[in-house]
Amino acid sequence: MINIQDIILKVFSGAGATCIIFFSTIIFSLPLGLLITFARMSKFKPLSIFAGTLISILRGTPLMLQLIMWYFGPYYIFGVSFGLAWRVPAIIIGFSINYAAYFAEIYRGGIQSIPNGQYEAAAVLGYSKSQTFWKIIFPQMVKRVIPPVTNEIITLVKDTSLAFVVTYTEMFTVAKQIAAAKTTIVPLFVAGVFYYIFNYLVAFIMEKIELSFNYYS
Amino acid sequence: MSLFEIKNCKKNFNGIKVLDDINIKVNEGEVVAIIGSSGSGKTTLLRICTFLEYMDCGEMSYLNEKIVTSEDGIARYIGQKELSIDALNKNKELVRIKSYFGLVFQNFNLFPHWTVLKNVMDAPISVQKKDINEVKEKAIYYLKKMGLEHKTNSYPCELSGGQQQRVAIARALCLEPKIIYFDEPTSALDPELTSEILKVIKELASEKRTMVIVTHEMNFARDVADRVVFMDNGVVVEEGKAYDLITNPQKERTKRFLQKYD
Repeated sequence: MINIQDIILKVFSGAGATCIIFFSTIIFSLPLGLLITFARMSKFKPLSIFAGTLISILRGTPLMLQLIMWYFGPYYIFGVSFGLAWRVPAIIIGFSINYAAYFAEIYRGGIQSIPNGQYEAAAVLGYSKSQTFWKIIFPQMVKRVIPPVTNEIITLVKDTSLAFVVTYTEMFTVAKQIAAAKTTIVPLFVAGVFYYIFNYLVAFIMEKIELSFNYYS
Repeated sequence: MSLFEIKNCKKNFNGIKVLDDINIKVNEGEVVAIIGSSGSGKTTLLRICTFLEYMDCGEMSYLNEKIVTSEDGIARYIGQKELSIDALNKNKELVRIKSYFGLVFQNFNLFPHWTVLKNVMDAPISVQKKDINEVKEKAIYYLKKMGLEHKTNSYPCELSGGQQQRVAIARALCLEPKIIYFDEPTSALDPELTSEILKVIKELASEKRTMVIVTHEMNFARDVADRVVFMDNGVVVEEGKAYDLITNPQKERTKRFLQKYD
């Protein structure tokens, strides 16, 4: 019989891998989402259609499938194999691009919710297009998108478990392995507690960030 | 000296005539009030004057510098080929011309994430590249003039509508424009705050600032403006000395309009 401490230690040994996926995705997808928003909102039609199609596919197909595509795609499509070294990059690329698509649509909503009067005031005062965006529109957009972005980040914490499909041993994979080997549900429960605590922290931090924007309305 | 002139200005929206053959000239130190019912084209005219909208045909000049010329009956803006709002926004030539005028909006359009002081200071610094200390001094001077020196560190949402509009006026003044346009500056305010703003504009008029004011306040137009332009259905129906036009209109349409204000 395995004791509870061992289970906790073993399950948490996968937490590092979970954190790698989580933080890498946040770092890459938040700015990438903005680029996709620019493309989506571009007046150059081919670019906006391309971005729209990309978003549609990324949101319309399972992330699990996308991860498999990123990992095995190079081999099946181009015949190149990067071996196991490709696994973590493939996971991070898959997660980042998928989440960027969601963030892009959230940003677009945020940008479009800003009253036209802000653009007009900026235009009359002589601000350039990029000054108008970075000084006036972007800061106001950030405030507006924090609640929906928080939602996505919380989903991301839980979605990290999808990396199992390319046999990456993040926390949930470890928990399942122990559960199967020892025929006990305790490891899965421990994993659940971990995700909950992780998300509790995420929600706490995001709330603090949201409050820091409350100085104006 | 003529600061601003618009000639034969025409504007259509989806085939509907909004402005038809408008001619207006504004001289230095003059206060011109534009009156007329809603939908008469007053606001569209101001938006054309401030490059928020383009005109289809006609000519425009600021300080005798031609900004829009007429080519084969079609308006042609300096420094741009096509006629579109996009082209207006991208037009680098117009940025310099924009420093000649300021616009005060009906609903203020202050930047909510900036303090009052930053709202007033930022454009002179980031657009006109002026010295920050110089601008700060000027911004505080204009805020004081607006009776808001104690509000410099407040955010727009902490101010009343009247205070917000006074910040907007200070923001326009701080760029030291030659001419200030007001687009129904009191329409979003209650009577008490309205008189507060009208008092401020009256003060500016007494300093001989050149202003064009779209307004529904007839007594104010009569007392403060030098000249009144009455617009209806996209045309200038009557134009004249403020007192004469408001108290003794000549045209039938003007009479009918002004009767509603008695």
